[in-house]
Amino acid sequence: MKKNETPDVPARFKVGDRVQVRDMPNMFYTRTQNYVRGVTGTIASCTYKDLIPEDEAFDYDGRPEQYYIVRFRQKDLWEEYPFDNDTLQTEFPDHWLEPVGN
Amino acid sequence: MSVTNDVDLSRIALLEAVHHQGKEWDVIAPRYGVSNPDPPWKTSLIGMCECLAVGGSLPALDRRRAEDELGDTVYIEVPAPERELLALVHVMLNRGLVVERDLASRMRTVRLRLQAL
Amino acid sequence: MNTGHKHTGDGDDHKAAPMVEEITDYEVLEIAVRELAIEHGLFTAEDHRRFTEWAESVGPAAGSRLVAKAWTDPAFKARVLEDGTTACKEIGIDWAEPTGVGTPSDYTNFLVLEDTPTLHHVIVCTLCSCYPRPLLGMSPEWYRSTNYRRRLVRWPREVLAEFGLILPPEVEIRIEDSNQKCRFMVLPVRPEGTDDWTEEQLAAIVTRDCMIGVALPRPGRTADVHPIRKAGRPVERSPQEGSAAE
Repeated sequence: MKKNETPDVPARFKVGDRVQVRDMPNMFYTRTQNYVRGVTGTIASCTYKDLIPEDEAFDYDGRPEQYYIVRFRQKDLWEEYPFDNDTLQTEFPDHWLEPVGN
Repeated sequence: MSVTNDVDLSRIALLEAVHHQGKEWDVIAPRYGVSNPDPPWKTSLIGMCECLAVGGSLPALDRRRAEDELGDTVYIEVPAPERELLALVHVMLNRGLVVERDLASRMRTVRLRLQAL
Repeated sequence: MNTGHKHTGDGDDHKAAPMVEEITDYEVLEIAVRELAIEHGLFTAEDHRRFTEWAESVGPAAGSRLVAKAWTDPAFKARVLEDGTTACKEIGIDWAEPTGVGTPSDYTNFLVLEDTPTLHHVIVCTLCSCYPRPLLGMSPEWYRSTNYRRRLVRWPREVLAEFGLILPPEVEIRIEDSNQKCRFMVLPVRPEGTDDWTEEQLAAIVTRDCMIGVALPRPGRTADVHPIRKAGRPVERSPQEGSAAE
């Protein structure tokens, strides 16, 4: 990951925390999928610290952030998903997540 | 260099001509009894995509988005990897990274060179 | 890349491997655009050569070796799950190649997803088909298709069934959408009936599809087979007649 002289943004979450994916507007391509916006999941792991693309957040100050893998129930992602146990996980920088009643 | 992220779906005459020659690998390889599933230029194409991403001329996500759009429309009838090559050149032309006239001219030169071997 | 070797004419009575004996516009186009790109300074010939050689060097055999070794060596498996990128070096794969910091598509954060009898992983990249190329080589065309990428996350069991894989509802299917810089591979459950197998025998049944998660390894299954769909809407094409002298 890129070295940066400014300190990292402190990680706000740890494994097991419940988080909700923000629905921020994006100017160009974003790596936060439409199907997860506004959905609540659980932090499954912390992966690495890295910068995020400038057009991913209007209030971004250029410091590296913690990235996380967040796990969702398929039933929470999709209408009428018939299997209770299935899950999906995908990765977000800290900026894209909000705490939910931790 | 254009900063737009939209793909121009207008057909490009030079690329249409390449496709209409009809020499996709899955057609010509069996004709010669060649069993390799990939054409000889495939890894060179991959190398070119990586180089364009590293240099910032064409980030990977931009290229893949264009490839998806073009692959679902203009080049829907073209098999991979020819579809990937045409889509790459198409978006490079859109963004002014290469110019169609120069490319046509260079293709003539390259073809003559290869035929002389 | 290798279409065959020219006959050496050294008197040995061996047949030359077949070659495609015509110059296609695709071949000409790839060379032409690459030359212009280099002349315009978009990249150097040296960088292109380095990435092309890297692309030629990777394939799924490395992934198969990693799985076979993890199955037979519990301490190695623990290292793989703890730090996948570092563990790869033990099987000769360095994620930092060919630049020292990896490629612009693969990065250097490799995670192995361990299946259990009640948990089955399957990998997709809905955005653009990111794939662990240092371990598995180039991604198959179906993995890159919008068909797979859009449908797997919404209807995973239907898509897996099309690959011939049907799992009971009690098994958790966990989809990994690799949308950022982590790259993933599945460590399948070691199948029954392989207790005294060597690593080589085990590696032979760990095919690429098993490491993506659309197939399960089993004795006797040494190849991935599924319908080839090369184009979104393939048209009836017959080989062109005529000379190569266009």
